[in-house]
Amino acid sequence: MSAPFYKFGMFGDEALLIVAFLLGIGFGFFLERAGFGSARKLTAQFYFRDLAVFKVMFTAIVVAGLGVFYLGWAGVLDVSLIYMSPTYLVPQIVGGLLLGIGFTIGGYCPGTSLVGVATGSLDAVVYGLGIFAGIFVFGEIFPAITGFFTSTAMGELTLPQAFHLSYGLVLFAVVLMAVGGFAGAGWVERRMAAKDAAAANAAAAQEA
Amino acid sequence: MKLFDFSSWKLNQKLALGALLLGALAVAGDPYGGGKVEIDAGELARIVQDEVDHVTAPQLADWILAGRTDFRVLDLRDEVAYATYHVPGAERVPITELADYPLYRNEPIVLYSDGGIHSAQGWFLLRAEGYAGASILLGGLDAWKDEVLFPVLAENLEPAAATRLTEVAEHFGGQPRGAGAAQDDASYEMPEVAMPVAPAAPPPSQRRKKKEGC
Amino acid sequence: MTTTATRAVPLDAPVRSAERAEPHVRAAAPYSNPYLAGIGLGLVLLAAFVVTGRGLGASGAFSSVVAVAVEAAAPVHAAGNDFFAGYLGTSPLKTFLVFEVLGVLLGGFASGALAGRLHRRVEKGPRISTTGRFALAFVGGGLMGAGAKLARGCTSGQALTGGALLNAGSWAFMLAVFAGAYGVAWFVRRQWR
Repeated sequence: MSAPFYKFGMFGDEALLIVAFLLGIGFGFFLERAGFGSARKLTAQFYFRDLAVFKVMFTAIVVAGLGVFYLGWAGVLDVSLIYMSPTYLVPQIVGGLLLGIGFTIGGYCPGTSLVGVATGSLDAVVYGLGIFAGIFVFGEIFPAITGFFTSTAMGELTLPQAFHLSYGLVLFAVVLMAVGGFAGAGWVERRMAAKDAAAANAAAAQEA
Repeated sequence: MKLFDFSSWKLNQKLALGALLLGALAVAGDPYGGGKVEIDAGELARIVQDEVDHVTAPQLADWILAGRTDFRVLDLRDEVAYATYHVPGAERVPITELADYPLYRNEPIVLYSDGGIHSAQGWFLLRAEGYAGASILLGGLDAWKDEVLFPVLAENLEPAAATRLTEVAEHFGGQPRGAGAAQDDASYEMPEVAMPVAPAAPPPSQRRKKKEGC
Repeated sequence: MTTTATRAVPLDAPVRSAERAEPHVRAAAPYSNPYLAGIGLGLVLLAAFVVTGRGLGASGAFSSVVAVAVEAAAPVHAAGNDFFAGYLGTSPLKTFLVFEVLGVLLGGFASGALAGRLHRRVEKGPRISTTGRFALAFVGGGLMGAGAKLARGCTSGQALTGGALLNAGSWAFMLAVFAGAYGVAWFVRRQWR
């Protein structure tokens, strides 16, 4: 068992920053490949026109999730050493709702806004300024909401632990849900495209 | 049957099938490796022989005085002993919780107990779990007392060295002893622990959050 | 001729600014198959786990910048505030996330350059002005920033990273994100469609 490499002392903190930079390059590259530098493409998800956000996100989750599982099972990766963000159920749900609302209104999420900025989207720049403002306000009111911020703490909790199921079973359920979702996504996109085409034809016919 | 004519399948469908197969296979597995511990006896023996497994009390004192925060000091004794006195910045960890304690595998960890037995056993535990930075405070708290808090100033000691020993001792709340003092003189009182019982460094969970959170 | 009715936008077409035609810009390449892009992203995430023992993220880097700015403007206030103080210390910008974010900028730029998708633009639908778009972008960013801090992460850190690790809080977060986004989408449809 020799991975995660950093946790086994194979390189130090300075090198870790270089690794972070390289990982970021890969991250940004594939986000842009998928078209996530465009707010229009991102938000098309929420109008059921283009479900690329769902497809990309869940494909990445399935690939990385299966990779972690198999490397752990093979004894190559020590999964218990991977950082698990502790669960704070209610703040995370409320935060998620706010984030989702901000996503549709603003058109980006923090990671994709960087890709937007890098490819010339001016609204992504404004969006980034908005993020700074939002974080600043959060920090200012933090003393007042610290109690809420740390409420419903459940520690490092995985879905298998929460539902008392085996890790492999939950992972398989995730894969099933994702693949099923992908099939459904394709169907939804085709239907909406047909609907849009019909509406455009009707509008053109009206003008003629 | 046409369904299994893979050459006619589109790329996306092939990917989906691959994912489903891998997912189904996973139901039988366990990614945590069952918590097994692998021990390379030869390597451990070499480490002991080369004496890179320990830190002396004066060395530890120098690290603390230099303000280094990149290492952890773990006290393996019980609560009462810890509350009475502990090395500044040390965290109390009972030996049974040592394996589960949040530590990085690449950070220096200095273990100590009163003498050296428990810390040596704790060292072995951590090494077996893959913590390459684990080391023992040579001589334990007894050595800390004798060499840092209450060092003996030999008559032939250079003035500069004597001054240094005195400064270090007084910084930690102790005082040097004259040349004629016997070792292991139990009449010297341990200094008051000025800091709260909780470790001076931020608690590990908080440190980890800031370093590894999103 | 632009009508007020909704235009059917081809799903594959990258967006161009509605304001001006740019005949000198070479045609942009179509976007990748989302599944292939997702596999690429998943492999990058897996590499992060294997090499560094942690996943990706983004919002934390923004927080570091805000904390540094607050410290520069009002050091005592920053030190006294638990939230900002947590991001400060010696070299507060020498963090994993800040360096990762610099990489994201570069990687996004590289992909855009290779595909001919680099151009100054304002991403918006035909029924809203640029100013209106900017205002909503700012508000959206603000909500996103606050939400990300409450949830201890954004879609990169919580949804992707936590999702792959089957983190319960991250999955709850993910569902909430989709719920919030879909719930509000209809109300701001004029911005995009």
